[in-house]
Amino acid sequence: MALPSLTLLGQSLLSGLFIGALYGLLGLGLSLSWGMLRQINLAHFALAFLGAYLTYQLASVGMDPLATLALIVPFFFSLGALMHWLLARFSVSAFNSLLVSFGLTAIIEALIQWIWTADFRRMESGYGEVKFRVGSLYVALPELFTLAMALALSLLVWAWLRHTYAGKAMRAIAEDAPIAAAFGVDVRGLSLLLSGLCSAFAGVAGLCLALSYTLAPGQIYAWLGVVFAAVMLGGLGRPLGPLVAGIVIGVSEALTMAFTAPAWAPLVSFSLLIVVLLVRPGRI
Amino acid sequence: MSIAIRSILAGALFALGLAAQSALAAPSGPPVRIGSTLALTGPLAATGLVHKIVGEIYVEQLNRKNGLLGRPVEWVLKDDQSRPDLARTLYEQLITVDKVDLIMGPYATANILSAMGVAQRYNKLLIHHTFGTPSLAKYEMQFPAGGLAGDPDNTIPKLVFDSLAASAKPPKSVAVVTSKFPSVHFISLGAREAAKKRGLREAAFLEWDFGNRDFGPIAARLKDAKPDFVWVGGLGLEGNLLIDAMRKIDYMPPLHFHLFPAPGPLLKAPGGENALAATTFEEHPPFTDNPVAAEFIRLYHERGAKAGLPDNSVENQSAISYSSWQTLEAAVTGARSLDDKAIAQWLKSNGVDAIVGRLRWDGPFNYIYGTDLYKVKQNQKGKWVIVWPKEFAAPGARLITP
Amino acid sequence: MRMRDLAGVAAAGIGLAAVPFFGLPAFYESFLYLVFHWIVLAVSWNILSGYSGYFSFGHGAFFGAGMYTTATLATKAGVPFLWTLPAAALVAAVFGVALGAVVFRLPRLRGELFALLTLAVTFVLATVVLNTPIDGGPGLYLSAVPLPAIGPSPSSTFYLLGLALALTTLWIAREIQRSRLGTGLFAIHDDEDVAEVLGVPTYRYKLAAFGLSCGLAGIAGGIQAMFISYVTVGETFSIAVPLNVVLMSVLGGSRHWFGPAVGAAAVTALLYAFTAGDYAVAGRAAVGLILILVILFLPEGIFGELIGALKRRRASVTPAVDASDLPAPSAAGPGKPENRPLLEARGLSKAFRGVQALAGVDLEVRRGEILGLVGPNGSGKSTLINVVSGHFRPDSGRILFEGSDLAALEAHCIARSGIARTYQIPRPFAHLSVLENVALPAMFGRDAQARPDAEREARRWLAFTGLAGKAMSLPGELNLHQRKFLELARALASRPNLLLLDEVFSGLTHAEIDDAIRLIREIRARGATIVFVEHVIRAVMELTDRVVVLSYGRVIAEGDPRAVMREPDVVTAYLGKPRA
Repeated sequence: MALPSLTLLGQSLLSGLFIGALYGLLGLGLSLSWGMLRQINLAHFALAFLGAYLTYQLASVGMDPLATLALIVPFFFSLGALMHWLLARFSVSAFNSLLVSFGLTAIIEALIQWIWTADFRRMESGYGEVKFRVGSLYVALPELFTLAMALALSLLVWAWLRHTYAGKAMRAIAEDAPIAAAFGVDVRGLSLLLSGLCSAFAGVAGLCLALSYTLAPGQIYAWLGVVFAAVMLGGLGRPLGPLVAGIVIGVSEALTMAFTAPAWAPLVSFSLLIVVLLVRPGRI
Repeated sequence: MSIAIRSILAGALFALGLAAQSALAAPSGPPVRIGSTLALTGPLAATGLVHKIVGEIYVEQLNRKNGLLGRPVEWVLKDDQSRPDLARTLYEQLITVDKVDLIMGPYATANILSAMGVAQRYNKLLIHHTFGTPSLAKYEMQFPAGGLAGDPDNTIPKLVFDSLAASAKPPKSVAVVTSKFPSVHFISLGAREAAKKRGLREAAFLEWDFGNRDFGPIAARLKDAKPDFVWVGGLGLEGNLLIDAMRKIDYMPPLHFHLFPAPGPLLKAPGGENALAATTFEEHPPFTDNPVAAEFIRLYHERGAKAGLPDNSVENQSAISYSSWQTLEAAVTGARSLDDKAIAQWLKSNGVDAIVGRLRWDGPFNYIYGTDLYKVKQNQKGKWVIVWPKEFAAPGARLITP
Repeated sequence: MRMRDLAGVAAAGIGLAAVPFFGLPAFYESFLYLVFHWIVLAVSWNILSGYSGYFSFGHGAFFGAGMYTTATLATKAGVPFLWTLPAAALVAAVFGVALGAVVFRLPRLRGELFALLTLAVTFVLATVVLNTPIDGGPGLYLSAVPLPAIGPSPSSTFYLLGLALALTTLWIAREIQRSRLGTGLFAIHDDEDVAEVLGVPTYRYKLAAFGLSCGLAGIAGGIQAMFISYVTVGETFSIAVPLNVVLMSVLGGSRHWFGPAVGAAAVTALLYAFTAGDYAVAGRAAVGLILILVILFLPEGIFGELIGALKRRRASVTPAVDASDLPAPSAAGPGKPENRPLLEARGLSKAFRGVQALAGVDLEVRRGEILGLVGPNGSGKSTLINVVSGHFRPDSGRILFEGSDLAALEAHCIARSGIARTYQIPRPFAHLSVLENVALPAMFGRDAQARPDAEREARRWLAFTGLAGKAMSLPGELNLHQRKFLELARALASRPNLLLLDEVFSGLTHAEIDDAIRLIREIRARGATIVFVEHVIRAVMELTDRVVVLSYGRVIAEGDPRAVMREPDVVTAYLGKPRA
């Protein structure tokens, strides 16, 4: 095989970075609700696709896809808070939340299929075709937007948890909710807030999915494995974890595809993951 | 006359017409029950829906005419949720519990194979349309109605490379990229062989895992390899993902062929212009000269719109689905019996003129001997038109080479 | 009771096995085969993941290993189908044990990291199978493989194979739950470190459970390969298998061997309840809604709730334990201190991230004595207990117990040699009853008693510590005082020669301390040697024969309690620094 060009190397790196950012964005809410509220929310993927379909629908009646955020974010925030209220009302354990959210996934999937059919949907927008040239490399706007969103949200959550009173209180809840409550932390309110945020992140991820991908209800499950891997590798409840881990997985897969047979890509990235787990004391 | 009154009158006339028609030849007696499963939910549901609509249209058409052998037809449809193990058990349910008279195949290779095993055990005839690996069909009473030959890994590459050779600018180098999905993969390997035999330079050969999400690196490798022609062995959305990835790095190969794409999205995708694909049927002459096909197209548009399909034009999937029902009707009528063996015997010695062309079962594995019914189509100005072979090409259409 | 159980199971098995001979439509046989198939997968998953809490997301990998073993042997090597099944089990089990042998050595790979690792292994295996001649892409096709005629028809053959495997799996899961292995696994679920220190060979147990779990999944895969007769990577290694088994186990209840079977049957039946073509989409939503409602109102799972209700009823009927059932005297010698050492520590050192917790400790514990271990906070007392009990390994030094060196031994071996300990903050097994908590060390300690004997022993020690009335309660229902005594009862139940007590008095009221002092005297009277770490000076003065004073990881004084506590070094160590 001829030596691959630098352009190929650079372009593949970028490609891995961008897909990793999407893993990170999809994983952010999942990781926070799992790590801090002990809710393993399988429905996060279904919510993201619901967000994508809603964006598609709003865009098809003439709304700018980015402007849909103004509707998507509050709607999904309420949805997430409502879901948390339900889980808290029945004090559902982490294990059981898996089952509840799986049921919810099935319902949302059916809802999507009922409204939009199982046939493929593709959002047409002015953004899809915009790309920038940097030297010999190209960067597409939807992907750049995804990366920017993933970075901004992850960093914001990180700063919120680290530097604000509410964020610190949130961390206290994650450590030990009853003790935090005894110290006067508003556990109920903050948990509702965090669940709302996690769900809103799913909505944002949905927007990014709609910008770059063709949608079908069955795709809900296509992201499950790799995003779960990124979430667990990144460390539960750590806001920067899924993004960093997602990028590690994305870039290692992209480089494998660039330089060897693409079909071997999962082997490299997941072997790497196994080695990291076995050798390093903690997570990435 | 106001529009409302006019439409009421029209409706009344239509109803009268229907009543008159059914009075002419109303099927009577206990219904003939035809059982099948389709992937109505799960990952294959997008195409499953197409087959459901076509089946409903056909059964209604049958009942409006004389039914089957003068008896009304009832279609017992179950959802196999895109899972082969479920398909197998549901076919057993259809045969041993629901006791249907006849069965029809489900959608896609793995599920059809499951159904075929059951059919074989109960000596039931199985007509199916989307079985991509003929050499696995080892049951004498299975009849593919999808228009494939027994060796699609030879016939389809031959068709495609013939069309390219006859074009204004035949490619000199080729890149074969393919998913490792079984039915797509082996045809792509055939394309690789065919290209070699024709002396085309292989600029790249890449395989990816079905379910791959990141096509950026593959696009970048194609950009580096600069082939004149790219053979994309993609299933469903994979071809779209690859085109998207190539667009993002400002690259499109001069020519690209997609094996089994999801037709709607590929038609609308930016970058999908001039994409080539394989098909058996498109909405233009000579196909639409057939009044049966024209009527089917009308009904399908109507039903598709009602079901909320984003793209309700008739093309390969819906046409082979319709053809498989035509096969069933022709065979039952021809054999004048619901006996599976009699019907199979009739099919063995007769052909059926379906909307996709003349179906025969004289080749290996009951597939068509020699050549298949596939044609090469191209996305020209947002419409799929057949460009090869010439006698099936849309009026005035030629393979556009940039 | 057991015989009747077995007879009942045998009758049910024979009855079910006779089903195919009654001319039932084949569909029901196939449907029931699928139920059995999922029962095997869910119940086998539960053996490791439900019992021990090691949540595997890799059951699809082992199931797939079995599928491809059968498919490969049957199609490429011409091995008769039935003979491929043991091979499928073996390949899957060896694969699992090899993975476990590496992973279970690493204590940090618990919880979600174990789940991640097993998920990653699934992806890696799928990629290898896809890209090597094992499959290579086209899939393996088994239609030409002859199916032995076990039943009157192919469907009934699968039915009978599935039935046999499901019954075997349930029987194995049931036997494990009732055996030492099961007890150990449930203890690992709640607190693996404590389980090890109480004598449970955690590493071996996890490996055994994993091996069995994978082997059973492997056979299920082998049969399924034949059932669907077309094996592809995409269908085999999908996320559906691990997801389904988890959901089934949770739905049925994962703390009982039968729970996952109920969940598997319920989910499979639900699947078939909504396959009508006209309502496919609504059916999917209905399945989702039913799952949600069931788990909201039956949080322990369908079967878990049922068992829970039965237990509660039985518990209310069970009379209180007879308080006059006093503990038997220990077999060990009389309660008088001797000069022969029972335990000797020589140059014991242990550092944590640069902090030298133990800096060359030399120590001697004499047979039959009560030795007080005192010193300010952070002086290394608890670390010493942790090192002697095997919770930590020393960096250097030797620990001689009855003449043999403990330093290289694993914690459960130390427990078996006759050393028991308590934790300063009680660490009971949260999901085991008080009785089970106390019976466990008797089963895994020096005498390794059988369960009935261990429970008898446990009841004695519960009576001894005044907890007899709480035997069937969960530890969470006890107050601090009772939990401290539970800790003590648990340490005593293994009848140790050496008892290490870590601050049993802290947090107790004056009257409770009196109680505890009386208990410890009595324990010694029954022949145990006791080392105890204490801050409550009154208890030290009243109880100990000797004290050893630690400061900054070194022994700074030892001898008669009253004399030692007056030594200037000791006074400085205590008063010269403010106590944290």
